[in-house]
Amino acid sequence: MRIAVDIGGTFTDGIAVVSPGDRIWVGKTLTTPHAPGEAVTTVTADLLRQVAAARATRPEVDEVVHGTTLVTNTLIERKGARTGLIVTKGARDVLAMGREWRYDMYDLNLEIPRALVPDERIIEVEERLDARGGVVQRLEAAAIRRMLDKLAALQVEAVAVCLLHAYVNDAHERQIEAAIRKRFPQLAISVSSGVAREIREYERMSTSVCNAYVQPLTADYLGNLGERVRELAPRAKLRIMLSSGGFTSGQAAAENPVLLLESGPAGGVLSALNAARNNGIHEVLAFDMGGTTAKACVAVGGEPLIAHSFECSRVSRFKRGSGLPVLIPSIDLIEIGAGGGSIAHINDLGLLNVGPESSGAVPGPACYGLGGTDATVTDADLALGYLNAENFLGGTMALRTDLADAALGRLAKKLKMSVPSVAWGIVGIVNGNMTAAARVHIAEKGHDPRNFTMVATGGAGPLHAVDVARNLRIPRVLAPIAAGAGSCLGLLAAPARVDRSWSSPALVSETDWPAVARSVATLREDAEAELASAGARQTGLKWFIGAEMRYAGQGHNVSVTLPATKITAAFAPQLVREFERRYKQLYGSLVPGAHPQVMTWRLTGRSDIVNRRFQWGDQRAGGASSARGRRSIYLPLEKKFRAVPVHDRYSLKRGTRIAGPLILEERESTLVVAVDARVNVLDDHSVLIEIREFE
Amino acid sequence: MRQTTFDPISLEIHWRRLVSMVDEASAAFVRTSFSTLVREANDFAVLLTDPQGRSIAQSSASIPSFIGTLPATVKHLTAKFPVHTLQPGDVMITNDPWMGAGHIHDVSTVTPIFHRRKLVAFAGVVSHMPDIGGRIRNAGNREIFEEGLQIPRLMLMRAGEPDAALIGMIERNVRVPDQTLGDIFAQVAAGRMLEERLRPLLDDVDLDALSAEIRRRSEAGMRKAIRAVPDGVYHGHSEHDGFEEPIHIRCAVTVKGDRLSIDYTGSSAQVPRAVNVVPIYAFAYSAYAVKAVLCHEIPNNEGSFVPITTSAPLGSIFNPRYPAASGGRSMVGQLSVPAIMMALSKVLPERVIAEGASNSSITLTGMDRGRRFAAVNFMNAGQGAAQHRDGYTMLSFPSNLSNTPIEIFEQSAPVRVVDRSIRRGSGGAGRYRGGDGLHFEIEAVGDSPMMASMIMTRYRSAPLGLFGGEPGKPGGLFLNGKAIDPAEHWMLKTGDRVVMQTAGGGGFGRRRTKRRRK
Repeated sequence: MRIAVDIGGTFTDGIAVVSPGDRIWVGKTLTTPHAPGEAVTTVTADLLRQVAAARATRPEVDEVVHGTTLVTNTLIERKGARTGLIVTKGARDVLAMGREWRYDMYDLNLEIPRALVPDERIIEVEERLDARGGVVQRLEAAAIRRMLDKLAALQVEAVAVCLLHAYVNDAHERQIEAAIRKRFPQLAISVSSGVAREIREYERMSTSVCNAYVQPLTADYLGNLGERVRELAPRAKLRIMLSSGGFTSGQAAAENPVLLLESGPAGGVLSALNAARNNGIHEVLAFDMGGTTAKACVAVGGEPLIAHSFECSRVSRFKRGSGLPVLIPSIDLIEIGAGGGSIAHINDLGLLNVGPESSGAVPGPACYGLGGTDATVTDADLALGYLNAENFLGGTMALRTDLADAALGRLAKKLKMSVPSVAWGIVGIVNGNMTAAARVHIAEKGHDPRNFTMVATGGAGPLHAVDVARNLRIPRVLAPIAAGAGSCLGLLAAPARVDRSWSSPALVSETDWPAVARSVATLREDAEAELASAGARQTGLKWFIGAEMRYAGQGHNVSVTLPATKITAAFAPQLVREFERRYKQLYGSLVPGAHPQVMTWRLTGRSDIVNRRFQWGDQRAGGASSARGRRSIYLPLEKKFRAVPVHDRYSLKRGTRIAGPLILEERESTLVVAVDARVNVLDDHSVLIEIREFE
Repeated sequence: MRQTTFDPISLEIHWRRLVSMVDEASAAFVRTSFSTLVREANDFAVLLTDPQGRSIAQSSASIPSFIGTLPATVKHLTAKFPVHTLQPGDVMITNDPWMGAGHIHDVSTVTPIFHRRKLVAFAGVVSHMPDIGGRIRNAGNREIFEEGLQIPRLMLMRAGEPDAALIGMIERNVRVPDQTLGDIFAQVAAGRMLEERLRPLLDDVDLDALSAEIRRRSEAGMRKAIRAVPDGVYHGHSEHDGFEEPIHIRCAVTVKGDRLSIDYTGSSAQVPRAVNVVPIYAFAYSAYAVKAVLCHEIPNNEGSFVPITTSAPLGSIFNPRYPAASGGRSMVGQLSVPAIMMALSKVLPERVIAEGASNSSITLTGMDRGRRFAAVNFMNAGQGAAQHRDGYTMLSFPSNLSNTPIEIFEQSAPVRVVDRSIRRGSGGAGRYRGGDGLHFEIEAVGDSPMMASMIMTRYRSAPLGLFGGEPGKPGGLFLNGKAIDPAEHWMLKTGDRVVMQTAGGGGFGRRRTKRRRK
């Protein structure tokens, strides 16, 4: 048996899966922010009880896979360790100056994100390398001693080391690391060439500092979690989900906690992809919409695209550049909206706008009756009949239609429009905004949405998916089971994974291939050890060589990935062919006479991806009659309200084929089909919606 | 049926769609560009106009220097090549500073967009080229002829066929032809992408009606913001380091009802150096200042700027005669921003900021280990304080230029960055302090001498404070410890050291007698 536990902002979700048969049991409890491990214990114990009751024995737990927002929240709330930083002499202000550009050109008073390490905790050390890694100034023992004395005076709990050109030669960083470990064995230490071996000192330094900053807390947390897991399941191994969409061992995660930043959202995407693979779908737009955020991700051939830089702890949520950069591999997810809590308002030009302000969980949308008076997307969904006031969260929370109407009415009066048209306006605008952002994301990856299937997850995902898909001209929407605990299914479907990278800028025509081969061999050995610690078998491993490439003189990279092979000069034409194919796909045509160049190499190893065909462990699917009656909902194409059938989603048997418009209700979500469509219940209880307009 | 009227909801939806299309084309352009200035400084713009050349939507990331310039370029080009003579696959081109974006380094291309065989819009792209020939860009250049290749209004492509003669001419006149032509054709690709993305929208809506409504709303928004400013004539000034003598910038801002006009009479006359500012560029930065101070949320399109006008007498530094050189026009043109802020500080003290300094740079070219190199490094400076906060230390303003990472700079030229640190204490004192500038020291480490061209801002004229705040420290330029003139080109030998210091920003309000703790 394997268990997945995902700690979110409000709820901690868990799923237990028993093989063979991949039968699942679901657990949920409130998150315990003061001691997150408590909720993990509660959910795990609950799952063990459920499984034992169903099978009459207590099955052995082999593995607990865990996703967490701990690292993200520590950075957002700035609650990490007191951290010091060691840099090359002359580079002490790199962190404070950042990249010096303004993320909003017209705002004269923008807030600049504060560095995690203040001036007085930065130590310069006398040493210098050149751009080829050659030693310009040796790192003398005396310089190390002076650095250690200064460090002793700072009383820090963690320290980051980032020296100029350490991406090409890590010798000085390693010397400093060894000296610190010897004198301060209790100190958490994070070395730039180990965390993010990539060119550009600010971004690499920022990544190393973020890592050091969250290390002590994460180590404590994972240690504590390990003990809790051992108490409940003595033989279970703890695995931690990474932003890259793979998991690693608890120990590796504690060393590089910055890799956990997007661990939860990564699980959501993997769950969507697992459902897609089960149903033979290869081109996917994963669409996840919850109460405070909506995200999208393109995946072709069953694997998500990976981005190699990310921004955390933004001071202005939707503004790129307002956060701290981190160079980590993460599933290439973009935030396309602020979710169901987004607030509608009238802007300076008299136009209706939605977001980016969000009502959050408290006070929440007006219809929650918790004191919120602003009209939100959820209020509009309720007014349009898409949500059932009596059946929200399985009926545990009644929604107030009167309060939603009152909030919408205030906007309607100002706009001199009717309440329903304002309600549809809000949904139309938020769907339009998400469409625009998703369209750009798909196009930037060089794909055509008309070949895609959207996979909808999250509490509000199935509510908005069909309309967003229609706007994007995506003809099909897939809604997998257990939308409410989706990321846990993803954790269970994830492979073990390790990523390594190193910057070594050179023209392809001038690359030192034996040197590349040596780097690959060294890193592969190291990566194999980590994969083994994460329980992956050597024989089933898949290896990939990646390169960040460009034409010499350009400033942006095109990512190229090939199955790993023996690296010799004969690799060059293969690499260039793949680069040109990607370049053409992205930008239309090649640049005649220009020279392809590699900036950064990457090595990825992962265990095989196995399709998981999850089924309910309890017998909740396929029950009695599914029809729950009819409800009047707004149909945007007809521009009017009409009564449509409402079904209990899990009472629909496999193979059921019905026609939209209709509504399918489940505990944590509602699937709205407000257009003509074929609605099919598939073998794994996913629901596939085919929009007729595109047939 | 195509939609011709728009309520506050459908307008918002279609408008966002238009902006996202323009942004998508601009993102693709930036990623494929060979120009450092395009990538690190967003020194480009992508624009959609109606057949009359009136702007509908402009890329959000572009820097302020392109406000209103591309619509003017479209109008100049269609004056030469009338709309009825254009056909699908045509592309027009120019780099005339007076018709384009103010210096010949910015090349513009304009592509007509057809729908059902009717010309319905233009896609325009302007960007700073990797190289345009001539002397390396430097404020010391005296006439446009020294600055590089001039491209008058021409057809780059006819019905999809590139003009071989023109391409041959460009190829022969620039240092890195594959990169310059790479960028010109990346512009063409961006124009085509915009056309493709626009097609489904053209089926749904009447673009003329939509663009008229967008302009109407934007214009009304700007008029409303201007009306909130008390009527009057407000004066402001600023100063550029100059050459033999300083260059004065004087402006009179007249607010009357819902119109705002800025007159630069009284500013210095044009100079035989490359810092002259053509009227369209003076307008761009003036309009930027007004928008940033009054209503930064108002969208970037022609409607927003109809209520704003600028003027300067012919022969002024803000309205120079041909063949004035203008490669460094930003050094003077960007000073219209603090001059306007000073003028408006009399009525809107809580909205403005004191003077700071815009970016400086050093360009290095030469041979190292048998290979030709060219590298540019940008430096920002301290910015002025405001009524309720200190000025920003080391931030780009009013342009938006990232710095060059030390590791990238050392990869691309044989130099060592000895020190790149905050010049502490360079910001002006005051109730709120100005931000600090930069101390930047490099050593030449190549195997042969290289040429260095520096653009320095505020190394003589200190950025002024407001309301009794003290000026920031001016910058400085030194070669092996001796002050040197940035208007010259310099040869650096191995072991030579260059120090560039950028200015601190001005303070805001009188300094309190007791020192405020930071």
